Amino acid sequence: MAGNSRDPKSGLSRRSVLKGVGVAAVAGETLLSRMAKAADAIPGPDGTSLDQPMSGPVKITLNINGKDQQVTVEPRTTLLSALRDRLEPALTGPKLVCNAGTCGACTMILNGKNVYGCSVLAIDAVGKKITTVEGLGTPDHMSPVQAAFMEKDGMMCGMCTSGFVTSVSAFLKTNPNPTLDELKQGLKGNFCRCGTYPRIFEAALSAAKAQSNVT
Amino acid sequence: MATKTIKVPKMVNGAPTAEVEEIQVEDYGNQSWGPKDKHRLINTKIPRVDAPYKTTGTAQYTHDVRVPGMLHGRLVTSPYAHAKVTSIDTDKAMKIDGVKKILAIIEPGGEIYHEGQPVVAVAATTPEIAEDVARAVVVKYEVLPHVITAEDAMKPGVQPLIPARGRGGGRGGNSQGTAEQVDAALKNCDAVVEVEYRTPILHHCCLETHSCVSDFRGEQSATVYVSTQGTFTIPAEAARELGVPVTGVVQHMGGGFGSKLAGIGIAGQWATRLSKQTNTPVKLVLTRREEFLTSGNGPGSVQKFKAGASKDGVLVALNATQYSMPGIGNGNIAAQPYQYKAQNVYRQAITLATHEDGAVPMRAPGHPQACFAMESLMDELAYKIGMDPVEFRKKNVTDVAWHRQLDTGAKAIGWDKRNLTPGAAKGPLVRGMGCAIGAWGGGGGAGSQVDITIGQDGSVSVAVGSQDIGTGTRTYVRAIVAEELGLEMTDVQEKIGNSMYGNSSGSGGSRTTASLAPALKDAAYNARVALSKIVAPLIGADPDAVWFDNRYIMGNGKAISWKQSCAALPTAGLAARGAFQAPLAGQGAHGASFAEVEVDIETGHVRVTKMCHVQDGGLIMNRLAVESQINGGMIQSIGMALYEGRVMDAELGVMINPAFNDYKLPGAMEIPELIPIIDDGDTRDVVIGIAEPGNIPGCGAIANAVYNACGVRVRETPITPDKILNGLMQMRRVNA
Repeated sequence: MAGNSRDPKSGLSRRSVLKGVGVAAVAGETLLSRMAKAADAIPGPDGTSLDQPMSGPVKITLNINGKDQQVTVEPRTTLLSALRDRLEPALTGPKLVCNAGTCGACTMILNGKNVYGCSVLAIDAVGKKITTVEGLGTPDHMSPVQAAFMEKDGMMCGMCTSGFVTSVSAFLKTNPNPTLDELKQGLKGNFCRCGTYPRIFEAALSAAKAQSNVT
Repeated sequence: MATKTIKVPKMVNGAPTAEVEEIQVEDYGNQSWGPKDKHRLINTKIPRVDAPYKTTGTAQYTHDVRVPGMLHGRLVTSPYAHAKVTSIDTDKAMKIDGVKKILAIIEPGGEIYHEGQPVVAVAATTPEIAEDVARAVVVKYEVLPHVITAEDAMKPGVQPLIPARGRGGGRGGNSQGTAEQVDAALKNCDAVVEVEYRTPILHHCCLETHSCVSDFRGEQSATVYVSTQGTFTIPAEAARELGVPVTGVVQHMGGGFGSKLAGIGIAGQWATRLSKQTNTPVKLVLTRREEFLTSGNGPGSVQKFKAGASKDGVLVALNATQYSMPGIGNGNIAAQPYQYKAQNVYRQAITLATHEDGAVPMRAPGHPQACFAMESLMDELAYKIGMDPVEFRKKNVTDVAWHRQLDTGAKAIGWDKRNLTPGAAKGPLVRGMGCAIGAWGGGGGAGSQVDITIGQDGSVSVAVGSQDIGTGTRTYVRAIVAEELGLEMTDVQEKIGNSMYGNSSGSGGSRTTASLAPALKDAAYNARVALSKIVAPLIGADPDAVWFDNRYIMGNGKAISWKQSCAALPTAGLAARGAFQAPLAGQGAHGASFAEVEVDIETGHVRVTKMCHVQDGGLIMNRLAVESQINGGMIQSIGMALYEGRVMDAELGVMINPAFNDYKLPGAMEIPELIPIIDDGDTRDVVIGIAEPGNIPGCGAIANAVYNACGVRVRETPITPDKILNGLMQMRRVNA
């Protein structure tokens, strides 16, 4: 993995990172305090405790789809990039599409809540339960939502599909029996360019119905 | 075609019984698909075979490829629309830990022709470090004057100053008839309109940005993964950079819409060059901003018309000047009067280059722009002579397909309930309806090679290199072969998206299916004939008198299961090959869109409430996928009509909205009730291709519906609230 090849001594010094984030520290929960929280949970790469600001490669443990996994990131690495570019083996269900928290293709579930993986720092996810689309079902054992997407043709190119499947799955947990309008509200954070929306709506409503019939 | 009488055992619950019956079957061979309504798999609704992978995040896209030791590439792009590079300082950047290569794309002294043009490419060990390196490269520029607006581009002497650096095609105009002839005819018209329509540059916005992973390690061959619409462009283009034989891979592809027809593109070119120079694999993924600024776009247009009709509804004369605005590229707007006939036509086509990234094909190149303008014009004329817009259209198109589709669409949308007096409703919410029609060529061509291998174990694999850009290629690859061999979808495995397999065309012009499906049918037919020769003797039948159905091969009153049949094959199994068969493909697609909109005359906000699109396409491969594509076409046309367009700061020469936050795509909240209708009145039993046409007439239909609702004719897309409110204000002034 590329991150290992970097010599931590020659990168930005911890001091310079500290100075750099000092300005941001004024407002609310800061990067600094979040890094400190992550540091509490995880021993540093050299066995010391990370009780001070980090820079360069840092080894952290993430709980992904029920499994603790170690990954080396930089403090600035997003959760999305940690999974796609750094974790071994990679988890590439969540897609990098806008990298700006607009399109929803990188949607993951963090402690039961939908988040954009591109807008969460990996170190911020330490100690939290991360669920990606891979954790919802597999090709041989699709979840009811995934199966409904297949049946209703809720995808074309498929680049938005992971995000939509994840959003729908999380949304149906909060609203198991939505109206079409409620569903649209729930999915307005996800974009599809091929134009599969009507089929995604059908799939979500059909999955909701199937689930309510079971319970 | 041959009618065959075959003795088969009577099948009960999918298994043969001792009872023998004679059946009459039609063997259509490899030169005909047979009647459209007689298919078992194709022309039905088939769930996508790759859905289990796409819905679980396990389908691998180029973006997802990660090979051991891979470096990450990044571009440094120009902040200026027109400039000369004066110096590139890489000292600081080269000192960053993890940098592996910095390459000048434009050397000092070289010229920049648009904002976002790549100037330097870098490679480093992680995406973050690559970003640091790109930021640390200091490029200095001498800023030169630029041209952005149509008005500036039209000024005398300006055009020769902007060199055509675009991809494909030639520039220049053409005309037919004479202006004088048209002018004379206009004098005798009952209604004449003189208007100008504009559309901005549009962006494809594929969710997977242009990207490449060049897996080259200084060895004698390489594998190159590219998000491209043409798998077979990879080997030659990548080998040019790498100097070794290349296998091209496009396993899954996150949208193209025409933007990925330019081979391996910028990402491919620089990923391969970086990897050649480092002897290391390199991944280069364009950022979303770069995707907007330097991966191509659909040209903008300015279309000026003088047109006249007679009061009995005949389009008598049209003088059209069509300016295409393809940046530094090329991109024509389809010739007016588009799908209509006019007695007198004079047309000029003029390209207006600007200092913007060059246009590339974008879903139905030049058609949505031409259609929006022509259909708005037709609508204006229809209202002026007081004729039902549907009837007016029928009077001026000859093809019965459009007559049929206009009737079907009118019924689906409830045309008879439309607003008869535009602008009369009180509001604040007023509704209206509009329609438009579109045309596309489609059709197939030679060049595909399909290879089928049937194993001793009964496995069937179909290999063809074609990419599936999201249209559902994988699914019909299986369906055609399974149907021909009397098997089910799950019995066939497809291998696609790899240049090691048989050749196929790029996905452009809605031609993939019409090119590939005939070759698939041919290969499957050849496999059936070859297998018949081996299996028929086992049941004492004539090879010409066996039938494949229900996973059995039947003849001479006996049936042998597929598995048992294949067990008789030699160890190597059976191989069959297929090529394009012209009689299996056709061309010429017609479509009609109807839209109902709701306009808030207090805020100017427009919402599409209902839309339908009727589309013909000969023999449909997969009705589920085709309906999805028609939906997609309608949704993209909603985007064009109401939300989308490149916004430029003409002073600075830069794009204001190169991000999804500001370039608005239709989202869940903008989706109306959509009715996709496959026009089964089309009796052609040939494959045509329908990828593009669903996107063509929707924009015009929506613009016409807006007029029908509130009386404001918006002649420039996107139809934003400011344009509605301005229009309403002008109407009040005129009425006051």
